[in-house]
Amino acid sequence: MIYYKKDTDNIVTLTLDMKGRPRNVINHEIFEAFVPVLEQLKADKKRGALKGVILTSGKKTFLAGGDLDYLYQTNDPAEVFAFCEKMKKFLRDLESPGVAVVAALNGSAIATGFEVALACHHRIAVDDRRIVLGLPEVELGLIPGGGGIVRLMWLLGIEKANHIVSSGQLYSPQEALRVGIIDDLAPNQKEMLEMAKDWLLNNKESRRPWDKSGERIPGGSAKDALVADFIRAEAARLAAKTHHNYPAPQAILNVLSEGSKVDFDTAERIESRYYTQLVMSKQCKNMIKAFWFDSNYIRHGLNRPRGFGKFRPKKVGVIGAGGMMGSGIAYACLRNGLDVVMKDVSKLIAERGREYVRNKLNPLVQSGEMSSAERDQLLKRIITTEDPREFETCDLVIEAVFENAMVKQKVTKEAEAFMDEYSFMASNTISIPITKLAEVSMRPDNYVGLHFFHPADEVPLVEIVRGARTSEETVARAFDFVKAIKKTPIIVKDDWGFYAARVQNTFILEGITMLKEGYPPALIENLGRQAGMPKGALALADDLGLNLVLNYERQAGEHYGPKYIPHPAVEALDKMLQEFTRPGRNKKAGFYEYTEDGQRHLWPELSTHFGPQLSAFERQELIDRLLISQVLEAVWCMQEGVINSIAAANLGSIYGWGFPAFKGGTIQYIADYGLEAFVARCKYLREKHGSRFRVPKKLKELVKETELVGDLLGMNS
Amino acid sequence: MSDAFIFDALRTPRGRGKTNGSLYEVKPLDLLGTALEKLRLRNQLDTKEVDDAIIGCVTPTDDQGFNIAKAALIHAGWHQNVGGLTINRFCASGLEAVNLAAAKIKIGWSDLMVAGGLESMSRVPMGSDAGPLMYDPELINRADYIPQGISADLIATIEGFSREDVDAFALNSHQRAAEAMQAGYFAKSLVPIYDRSGLLILDHDEYARPDTDATILQRLRPSFAATGALGFDEMALHKYPLVEKINHVHTAGNSSGIVDAAAVVLMGSKEKGHALGLKPRARILSIGNASVEPTLMLTGPGPAAQQALHHAKMQSKDIDLWECNEAFAAVVLKFQRDLNIPHERLNVNGGAIAMGHPLGATGAILIGTLLDEMERRDVQTGLVTLCVGGGMGVATIIERI
Repeated sequence: MIYYKKDTDNIVTLTLDMKGRPRNVINHEIFEAFVPVLEQLKADKKRGALKGVILTSGKKTFLAGGDLDYLYQTNDPAEVFAFCEKMKKFLRDLESPGVAVVAALNGSAIATGFEVALACHHRIAVDDRRIVLGLPEVELGLIPGGGGIVRLMWLLGIEKANHIVSSGQLYSPQEALRVGIIDDLAPNQKEMLEMAKDWLLNNKESRRPWDKSGERIPGGSAKDALVADFIRAEAARLAAKTHHNYPAPQAILNVLSEGSKVDFDTAERIESRYYTQLVMSKQCKNMIKAFWFDSNYIRHGLNRPRGFGKFRPKKVGVIGAGGMMGSGIAYACLRNGLDVVMKDVSKLIAERGREYVRNKLNPLVQSGEMSSAERDQLLKRIITTEDPREFETCDLVIEAVFENAMVKQKVTKEAEAFMDEYSFMASNTISIPITKLAEVSMRPDNYVGLHFFHPADEVPLVEIVRGARTSEETVARAFDFVKAIKKTPIIVKDDWGFYAARVQNTFILEGITMLKEGYPPALIENLGRQAGMPKGALALADDLGLNLVLNYERQAGEHYGPKYIPHPAVEALDKMLQEFTRPGRNKKAGFYEYTEDGQRHLWPELSTHFGPQLSAFERQELIDRLLISQVLEAVWCMQEGVINSIAAANLGSIYGWGFPAFKGGTIQYIADYGLEAFVARCKYLREKHGSRFRVPKKLKELVKETELVGDLLGMNS
Repeated sequence: MSDAFIFDALRTPRGRGKTNGSLYEVKPLDLLGTALEKLRLRNQLDTKEVDDAIIGCVTPTDDQGFNIAKAALIHAGWHQNVGGLTINRFCASGLEAVNLAAAKIKIGWSDLMVAGGLESMSRVPMGSDAGPLMYDPELINRADYIPQGISADLIATIEGFSREDVDAFALNSHQRAAEAMQAGYFAKSLVPIYDRSGLLILDHDEYARPDTDATILQRLRPSFAATGALGFDEMALHKYPLVEKINHVHTAGNSSGIVDAAAVVLMGSKEKGHALGLKPRARILSIGNASVEPTLMLTGPGPAAQQALHHAKMQSKDIDLWECNEAFAAVVLKFQRDLNIPHERLNVNGGAIAMGHPLGATGAILIGTLLDEMERRDVQTGLVTLCVGGGMGVATIIERI
């Protein structure tokens, strides 16, 4: 498992190579294996036969993170704390054999894996862009528990450490060198080991900075006025951004603040205590569920139609490539190794797409993340055109033109004329049924919806809309394409609004209903954001346009026919549109008014038109209404087959419209709330506010399926 | 139970609390030491007779640290019998010192005491003692604890005080202070600061700008908008979600100034005063302490004053003159609204907006200023109150003998 090799210069190379595993991981096994090795090193040192140690890996990766299955399941703080302290003890032993240790990073080292590297005196990585390094724990509602925060603080100072750990960013070796979390780059593994040895032969210091007396944290501790001011401002930024919903970044800041005022070992123990508290928190469990389990479920293609070989797209056509959506899609494709044909009504307009890509790449060149040669190479892989003939060699063509059925059908026919039966056509629509668009298609079984979200190069979700005649193979290919551009595919039914827009709309409608009931608009907006939504319901309505919001609801009415019960918000929407002609941001008049400088303020007359005005309010009830309305709609979507897995519903909600990640997504919300408590709350809301809070039959079944009834985990006890 | 009487009250001038202020060169020890020395001389006091000295100080660290009260007593050569206690109730520390002394005297466990306060904001800037309410990120976010200026702007937003309202109040403070200074109303209690050779350093409140007018005030930029934009505004909305956005109305012209000063009050029982030939000028009728929601923070004066009135079995109309510390214009406007106080009885000689607010000293200064004015107008009752960090309020009612 750990191979010990000493050379004639008394440099020991330790190679990690865990048996029967594809990757090295941190667990009890490895601690045990290290005990005799560390003893040996101490003995070597005592005999004067040790000059330095190189730690490297026999696998493709250096070392992976901790055991998320365990962290998700455990409900034993004493055990977690003990493990955390044991890991820290191991890392303390590793960094103090009396000689320096070099981490030779031949592959990726993330989370605990990177903490091991931090416990070495010097870090060298092979300059290979496939390698990623960093501490992404915060993305799972966690913090590094192996001393990562405290070591980074001592190496780089509080401000940088806070940025690195609370952003959860993963770095390529070059970026890692730039931010300072590694010390050197090597062109290949062989030279890396030579560089490691050279460094060790020239190095006299075996103590880490925190073990030397008189050494200070770079930039100072939280006792220094400037640092204290930074921490205070950072606390405010964090509060404004997360509304106290995410304890992990708060814990990072707390550990830095408190840990900088005490000695290293005490700081580490403070880190362990925060770590343990977070592992026990609902937010952490919810985020591990969404971003690990649900994400793996989708990554492994459990929703993908089976029996079709993997589709490997090489070349993508984008129609309407001069527009924002088209440019964004093209950029996402290019960055993931695909060639792109950008078509628009004229070559000149299509060129705007290339400009968009250039403007996105330039900052990367400036920051050194990409060379200018690489940028030019990428730009060369774009063909701009007004001629659909260029689509002949494309594996798929995506149209992202103006939201109008006639226009979409026209460009589809033009493109299909040059595409073959092995390629497929995709439409990026938000509100036109795919089945309807496919009516004019030459190959309707090769026609599918691919709903990207704005901004398309950033939002990591794509809805694959299965039309009535879309073949299973086309769905599978669309799925593979979305994965190829590193986005999360969710397969949805061709009903109004698909999944994301339909569920998001219930949030908007609930907010508008509150306005109608007389709640002050500022309250609705503030509580929406404090509930964890990216913006208030009224702001979102304005951004989408009130006509679209109303249109979705009308489509719901048509869908359900006589069973449809009008949403109370419809009346208010009608009033806004008919009586006041305030359709939203587009016309600079909606629930908000818009100033010349791009600012917006709530329309002052709202309070006079809706009411009677209420100033007393039940905060929790309003927040519950805003979130539960979405949760119930998501359950309806599952019941009606609009979406087919809990994983897709959860991740789709977080990525698609920013449903709170700390709740783990729409379905996980129920487990977070506790099934019984949730049902009781819905009953209360239904009696008070109407049948939209009726609980769909599917609910209980779903919660069983998640295997996440809160009580099982003791989360709600 | 006996009464607690005020025999004398004096203060140093207020120097600008910056490195260009006249009192920056004077160490806090000398500032408080001079006030004690003048108190002794003016009352021909045998300091052996004094039981204790309670001194309020908001930033008791560095030059004001390690119990500045006792340090200044030793420095001023007071008798070894006199103990020194430094206390911190933020901006009401000086008034709290008076109240604690009054309570000890009333109960009969002390006969003669000094109460007062000190703050050299130029030497020891506010917050330099760096406590958790200032810097602990967990506490700040758990409580949505925001800087005071933003709390003041939040009060203005909720109460609907516009920039014009607070500026108008401020202008009036500047004008009243200018008139009072011109007329010499402060001279009776103000002891100039001299250097060690007897050369004058400062003999007036140098922060005041008598030429302040509406145009000057109008031109000033909001002081707390940038800090609010860091995230503190959004934190305020966590507690007050009915507010769409904070209206940042406070500026350097309608908020209290940063200054250096010390103030002391000589207090005791009737018998002790009689024995030492000290003439009682007023007695402490009652005190009040309130604690309120900490994000809005500065609304303590209303409930503190109500409590003091209740203890004295009085109503707001029974008070002849009011002093509410002008930490920020909105604080006083809110207090005025809460207790329905006529403007002509409130802060009649201006306040901290015009002359500055030397944190720990202000409460003791206001006692002296109020008492002087009550005597000048020959009225009987007065109330002093201050808003306090962390969401507190302190009030004291005095009555002339």
